[in-house]
Amino acid sequence: MTAIVAYPLLTALVTAFFKQSLVVPGRKFVGFDNIVDVLQGNFFQLFQQTMIFTLGTTILPFAIGFALALALNTRIRGANLMRGLMLIPWLVPGVVVSFLWMWIFNGNYGVMNALLAPLGVEPQAWLAQPGTAMWAVIIAKTWQSFPWIMVMLLAGLQTVPRELHEAAEMDGAGTVRRFFAITVPQLKGIIGLVLLLEFIWNFQHFDIIYVLTGGGPAGSTQTFATSVYETAFRGYDLGHAGALGLLWLILLMALVVVYVRFSEKGEER
Amino acid sequence: MTTTHQSPAPTTAPDASGSQLMKERTPRKAPALRADRPGVRVAAWASVIVCGGFGLLPVYWLLATSLTPRDQVFSYPPRLFPSEVSFEAYASLFSNSQLFTYMQNSIIVSVVTAVLSVIVSAYMGYSFSKFRYTGRRALMYFVLASQMFPQALLLVTLYTVFSAYGLLNTYTALVLSFTTFTLPLCVWMLKGFFDTIPNELIEAALMDGASRLRIIHSIVLPLSAPGMVAAGLFAFVRGWNDFIFALTLAGPDKQTLPPGLVNTYVGEAATAWPELMAASLVVSLPVALAFILLQRFLVSGMTAGAVKG
Repeated sequence: MTAIVAYPLLTALVTAFFKQSLVVPGRKFVGFDNIVDVLQGNFFQLFQQTMIFTLGTTILPFAIGFALALALNTRIRGANLMRGLMLIPWLVPGVVVSFLWMWIFNGNYGVMNALLAPLGVEPQAWLAQPGTAMWAVIIAKTWQSFPWIMVMLLAGLQTVPRELHEAAEMDGAGTVRRFFAITVPQLKGIIGLVLLLEFIWNFQHFDIIYVLTGGGPAGSTQTFATSVYETAFRGYDLGHAGALGLLWLILLMALVVVYVRFSEKGEER
Repeated sequence: MTTTHQSPAPTTAPDASGSQLMKERTPRKAPALRADRPGVRVAAWASVIVCGGFGLLPVYWLLATSLTPRDQVFSYPPRLFPSEVSFEAYASLFSNSQLFTYMQNSIIVSVVTAVLSVIVSAYMGYSFSKFRYTGRRALMYFVLASQMFPQALLLVTLYTVFSAYGLLNTYTALVLSFTTFTLPLCVWMLKGFFDTIPNELIEAALMDGASRLRIIHSIVLPLSAPGMVAAGLFAFVRGWNDFIFALTLAGPDKQTLPPGLVNTYVGEAATAWPELMAASLVVSLPVALAFILLQRFLVSGMTAGAVKG
């Protein structure tokens, strides 16, 4: 385990300080040159795009998953069937999600254009325009992520003691009031966990972005994950890939530490 | 579950039930469902319809396109209901021998990954569950945290290492790399299972003179067979779904279905959409099947740890 994960990771990070190619053996120590190069390159654009992708694919599925969990938890008719059906997007492999949305967002024959036409939206090549590609990718990833969040929150909702709601109702608390005073605090732990995991996963998500757009058009959907991959396996430049990876990992750790601190503080209150 | 506890309305829809509440504030004898109140009911239905549409319409479109004759697909606006159902996409799929190779590779690699993951994680999980030693907790969390390491980065070294040992484009490379991401989950799943086996049972066996290994093989593992099946299926699915490792570490003759399909269909001038959608359905089937087999376990196992924490 240590050997198969920790060792590769460390060696990958060490390449940050070397000039090394994927196809030519041998390497040369170059100190911080690679890191400086990366920072002077498009690092901040990548950071910005990674954050947009990560926040979008964390918040949107969370909103949908939470809404569905709450709705299905009211035991409306067909709730169990619905819960099962809703898991489909989560079950299908990532490449299938990409194929499906690639087809939906297709500029010439895509169903998205047909659905939006009555609303007066001009047909678009959603995945081929820098302005819309990122959103199209976020929507595809959202479709894949929300079922898991729904399942987690639904399980959490079932542990909220009914007595709490009954007591609050006796005291005249309305539905909205009870949602914020009982449901949310009771679910705080699980909400925090779900958001944290989604953030970490999305921060390094690769499959859907890579298949849908390959980072394009004009690099507008490039994130750290796709960029490291491109640098290493299309550009054969391990040194710069390692440097980018090192910065990426430091950023991820920093963000996670900030988040954990933040949520711990929230707990003390 | 037979819980009848009440749930608040989804935040996405406004609801005016707060005022109604005041009128019916008499104590109830039988627990009434919150859904009995119209405001909440409407809100619940609204969110199920909106979110459910988002979740299921793409699935319908996947199925519908796969059954559409090829010449009807390239028309705009697209037909929401194909005028005739055609299985030609499925037929041409099964006559494609390259796809058959990918399928074969997928099955071999995923099955071996599952078996290997279960064997290794059974011992690791047992050690984490039943022994107490320094560094145990640290190691446990390291195993969990290793899931968070970016795969694209791991790949850089895995590629160089496999290349140095001449393992590129082999099943071994794929199985080993898949195991890096199946092990953490399997270890934690099995540890959870072993935790439920009472220590008294093991102590009793020790008293009777059974060796440590004997205890694992004749008592603990048989008792946790369901857990091992679940962990194995889980590893199978993760291996089956992998894209990035198989894309990079193997060539066309050893590649699995996900990168294989991308290579076959994506980037063509006129993608054969019905065929691609049909292939997508076929790739998803084993996963769906695995999930149905262990739905009960997965959902409870997945959430048990989280809810307790």
